[in-house]
Amino acid sequence: MIYKEPVFKPAGDVYVIVEYGDELNLLLNFRVIALNEAIKKAGLGGVTETIPTHRSLGIVYNPFKISYKDLVSKIKRLDKQLGKVGELPSRILTIPIWYNDPWSQECAKAHGAPDNMEFIAEKNKITVEKVIEVHSGTLHWVGAVGFTPGCYQAVPLKPSFVLSAPKYPRPRKWTPERIICLAGQLTSAYPVNSPGGYQLIGRTPLDLYDPMQRDPVFADSPVLTKVSDRHKYVPITGDEYKEIRKQVEEGRYKYQVEEGIFRLDSI
Amino acid sequence: MDGETFEVIEGGLQTTVQDLGRPGYLAIGMPTAGAQDPFSLRMGNLLVGNGAGKPFLVGDEPGEAGLEILLLGPTLKVLRSTVVAVTGADLSYKLNGKPFPMWTAVRVSKGSTISFGRPIAGARAYLCVAGGVEMPLFLGSKATYVRGAVGGIEGRALAKGDILKTGIPKLSLEEIEGRTLLPKLIPQYTNKWDVRVVLGPQDYLFTEEAIKLFLTYEWQFSSTSDRMGCRFIGPKLIFKPRPDYLVNQAGSDPSNIVDDTIPVGGIQVPGGLEPIVLTVEGPSLGGYAKVATVIISDMSRVGQMNAGDLTRFRAVTVDEATKILRETEKILSEDSIVKKSKTR
Repeated sequence: MIYKEPVFKPAGDVYVIVEYGDELNLLLNFRVIALNEAIKKAGLGGVTETIPTHRSLGIVYNPFKISYKDLVSKIKRLDKQLGKVGELPSRILTIPIWYNDPWSQECAKAHGAPDNMEFIAEKNKITVEKVIEVHSGTLHWVGAVGFTPGCYQAVPLKPSFVLSAPKYPRPRKWTPERIICLAGQLTSAYPVNSPGGYQLIGRTPLDLYDPMQRDPVFADSPVLTKVSDRHKYVPITGDEYKEIRKQVEEGRYKYQVEEGIFRLDSI
Repeated sequence: MDGETFEVIEGGLQTTVQDLGRPGYLAIGMPTAGAQDPFSLRMGNLLVGNGAGKPFLVGDEPGEAGLEILLLGPTLKVLRSTVVAVTGADLSYKLNGKPFPMWTAVRVSKGSTISFGRPIAGARAYLCVAGGVEMPLFLGSKATYVRGAVGGIEGRALAKGDILKTGIPKLSLEEIEGRTLLPKLIPQYTNKWDVRVVLGPQDYLFTEEAIKLFLTYEWQFSSTSDRMGCRFIGPKLIFKPRPDYLVNQAGSDPSNIVDDTIPVGGIQVPGGLEPIVLTVEGPSLGGYAKVATVIISDMSRVGQMNAGDLTRFRAVTVDEATKILRETEKILSEDSIVKKSKTR
């Protein structure tokens, strides 16, 4: 559901959540991102940070500097000024993936789960080869970043290139870093070794999180991707994976990032 | 003055360098980390004359770093004379094998040994030292975040052989020695807790009976708790039925929502079972309904709970919570500290 008016909710005593709806919908995400930019531009006193998600914006504020009530009325005003949000700046990141890699298979096995790629293929009534073709056949829009450093959730932009799969019934205790995963219709990743319940589909040789910020791509932030990025997933072989990983570790790899604009009506 | 102050003889169960953490990076999934009981760390810093920082999460000063000590404390050899204060949990803090007063700035001389024994009350003690523990900053903070391998000593807990350096004290050691918290202000830890929450943001997804049950039941603190989240054992909370599009998009479990912001202190209830309070290293984004959010002032209480402790959650308004935060800030001031002439 898309709400007629944004709904404001307190989350404890230092967060306000601005909710545009309760569903997964790019219209909502666009509005969230636009409001986030407007708040940053306005430099709202007392706001300490903002957290965009698919459908809502989390705002952290210092209650000694601004009251909940005043903050809500200021954000309402900013929201009214947004107008229609039809396009946003958006980078395209190329991310090579070794689909159906041995680490994903081993991790699934260690947790007593069926082969994840075969499971996804079965759920979507296609072959494993077709799963890879569908997943890499569309750009994916990053609607939210969070969970662990650099973790993201992306939606496929071509409506006919949607895969879906349920989460694990019992979350895993660990997942190797740099594994790419899928649940619901969302693609995500494990930038650091962490627990999780998404189906494992492959591994990227690229760093998604680098606290040392060694490569220029990490100059502004220790994480690779941000909200409003588009991802281009490229299938690679095991040999290509090893070669790229070596280049990343030696600081020779050139991350492929393309600046651009994304328009909602281009879908 | 700057130099090596402690040698770690034994690291203890989980001893980490913590300040008030690194807010400002939740949108990239970087948790604040920092003290799980910010009140005790800040008070410890005040006692030894350090900058105590601003309120956790919304303040812009992380304060000095101290050691967060979980249940079984470390053994430290003092390499040069300084003043320390131990606050928070009573973990049988000892100097040269003898019990020592907590919530008090005490002189420790070169060659002496600081150790801990049996946990008596609370879960986390904080050892603060004049000048603060020196560490390189990562994103503006010294706080250790083990999963992200950042902050503190190489992003890990203290281990045998580590050397801790400390900064230059703001006051002379003579001035700091003997500073003690007014006894009536020392938090009393028992195994029963009262934790104040603001209901929501997804309380409307639960049945009215479930909300009532949540606010009246005595929840038991689970042993599967850590710096990411703390679990509470009790009855199942029931959800209202959901429209089909949410079943498709968010997931088949009635607790599933399309992922949104998880506040620090947010209480997720996956499957309606075992509410989890997400704490300083918790995820910033998640797909489970949150029945309520612990107020910032009471996160310190959650940080002191032990397995088996009983907790009652009590709903307050945002305005009431702000008033409580104001009172907490008032306690964290020089007015709460007196100077004893002798500590040994």
